[in-house]
Amino acid sequence: MKRWASVFLMLLLSVSLLVAGCSQSASKTGGAAEGEKSAGAGDGKPVEIDFWYALGGKNGKKIEEMVQKFNETHKDIVVKPAYQGDYYQNHAKVLSAITAGNQPDVTMVEAGVVGTFANAKALEDLGPYAKEMETKYIPGLMGNSYWKDKLYAVPFNRSTPLLYVNKDKLKEAGLDPAGPKTWDELIEYSRKLTKKEGDKTKTYGFSTPIDIWFYEALVFQNGGSILSEDGKQLAINNEAGKAPIKLWTSMVKEGIMKNPPGEKYNAWDVAKQDFLNGQVAMIFTSTGDLQALESNAKFDVGTAFLPAGKTYGAPTGGANLVVLAKSSDAKKKAAWEFIQWMTDTPQTIDWSLASGYMPATTEAVESKQMQDVYKERPNLKVAVDQLEYAKARPMVPGYKELQEVIMAELQRAMLGQATPDEAIAAVEKKAEKILKK
Amino acid sequence: MYPLRLYVFKTIEWLLLLAVALLFVFPFLWMALTAFKTLPEVFRFPPTFLPESWQIQNFAVAWKSGPFLTYLVNSLFVALSILVLQLFTAVPAAYAFARYKFKGRNVLFGLTLIALMIPPQVIFLPIYVFMSEWNLVNTLWSLILPYGASAFGIFLLRQAFMQVPDEVIEAARLDNASEWKIMWKVMVPMAKPVLVTFGLFSFIYHWNDYFWPLIMTNNEQVRTLPIGVAMMKSSEGDTLWHVIMAGNMILVVPILIIFFFAQRHIINAFVYQSK
Repeated sequence: MKRWASVFLMLLLSVSLLVAGCSQSASKTGGAAEGEKSAGAGDGKPVEIDFWYALGGKNGKKIEEMVQKFNETHKDIVVKPAYQGDYYQNHAKVLSAITAGNQPDVTMVEAGVVGTFANAKALEDLGPYAKEMETKYIPGLMGNSYWKDKLYAVPFNRSTPLLYVNKDKLKEAGLDPAGPKTWDELIEYSRKLTKKEGDKTKTYGFSTPIDIWFYEALVFQNGGSILSEDGKQLAINNEAGKAPIKLWTSMVKEGIMKNPPGEKYNAWDVAKQDFLNGQVAMIFTSTGDLQALESNAKFDVGTAFLPAGKTYGAPTGGANLVVLAKSSDAKKKAAWEFIQWMTDTPQTIDWSLASGYMPATTEAVESKQMQDVYKERPNLKVAVDQLEYAKARPMVPGYKELQEVIMAELQRAMLGQATPDEAIAAVEKKAEKILKK
Repeated sequence: MYPLRLYVFKTIEWLLLLAVALLFVFPFLWMALTAFKTLPEVFRFPPTFLPESWQIQNFAVAWKSGPFLTYLVNSLFVALSILVLQLFTAVPAAYAFARYKFKGRNVLFGLTLIALMIPPQVIFLPIYVFMSEWNLVNTLWSLILPYGASAFGIFLLRQAFMQVPDEVIEAARLDNASEWKIMWKVMVPMAKPVLVTFGLFSFIYHWNDYFWPLIMTNNEQVRTLPIGVAMMKSSEGDTLWHVIMAGNMILVVPILIIFFFAQRHIINAFVYQSK
């Protein structure tokens, strides 16, 4: 009986511990929730707003630091930042939180998905708050801020694809270290940079993850677009849509381009790794990678516009800040003040220098501080200059699914399982259904 | 003396086992070694196997990148609470399924098995809404309560209980033992290897779980170790692989220690099951 009693006591103890532990944390957050309810009624209490962000590592730390600075300088608003995983995890979380009614007031939404969120009526129309002051942002970054002519988002951590070159290798091969300017030059450079030892390729001239981002870029460069103007039709069943696949497959076949293995972002990591190791001389990757590549490379890293087809062209990426439609009016007002401060010139310069993302306002780019930095690090400026040729990514709700289809077919073509014509035809067949939704 | 042929077979068997073991161990070993390197060394090609100099401070950097003590306490608390709850729901349920004949037993057991096959990603939204209505989102409750009963545990224990000979139970009943007592004093000790195995599975699953805590919590006070480790990774740019691997080591080592002590029981469980 004694042992039985001791087991019972143990059980009791563990249950009471459980209750104590949980109620402790519950009371903490419960208190916060009560504070929220009474906030913003003009009774002198600061308005509390929740901000969910989706960047980890050094950039996440920087965001927390900026929020702290905002809270110190704005006594009437308290922003509570919370990390919510990567973009996609954050999106899923925000959508479920909206269903449950405990959504944040401000969050980060990946540029291409702003349309989906706006279409679902999750976002607040920012037009009445902005009153035209959104013109301060760089126009090339605003492509993914509007949905059906209404302003729903402001640019925050924005990137664009660039061509990165190993300047040492280019010089060694007697090429212009500024990099190839056109598709033809890209082929010519890659041929000269590829080094073979017997059957084994020691260095490939060029490599790029077969990602929708770069495909979009190459389609834009040929004067094409992925979807029709109204977003209801696929627009790549033509020369502009097929040329990128032909370019890549022919370069792979010739042995002067490496198709980096790996699913999604793994392929990006492989391309960057190969570039750093000197196994590949030129790659496409994001502006966001500049800092990391420069500091880890043992050679001179150069950046350039993506080589031009008929013209230069590039999509933009990264995330925008949005305000959620379900928040109270007082919170929305505070939220607007917050996102506007986060993206204003002094902050966006600070953010750009710390993270490597592009500054959001024209004023920031023209500021003496940035100009001095650009003089010292011309690689940083290339991205901003390329914005002149930037186009918005398609924003229709079905595109998230469609881009997976396109990437799967691109990969099939790359592996020789389909001709460019077959790949595009396969995309078209599936696109009809997806875009009708 | 064994015949020579047996030695040859044994050697081949051992070599094969060793090769398979190496296949499984290598990623862990690589993680452990990377945790001690510098970042430039991580990126070097051809890669080095052993670190040139052992960078023990990587662990300190990882530990200080967030409130890791809080994460650790939360992880332990959540995983252990779930385990306790699951055992106290699974044992009676399994006993009933294994030893009683009642109307609808097979239907109920079928339902339990169906629950086994539904991944958390499918049902997180309704549970999230539930938790939100009860004001439990962003508390440790929301990490523990949804996992209070385990279909897997019920299934595993039922199989074990079914293997206990009827004579044993009848003997206990003759001695006037209550059903409650038979369950805990006769059945549970006889199913010990299975209990340990299930305990390990449950603990490891919830210790490693990333998705559920990420969805249910919003701030550091109620978050767990896997989120702390994931937060070290940037989506773009500078990823400090050596520090992340050090963080992963902090995450994995407790499990390795527990596993080390419990592995004898696990082997027993499988031998027992297949008898």
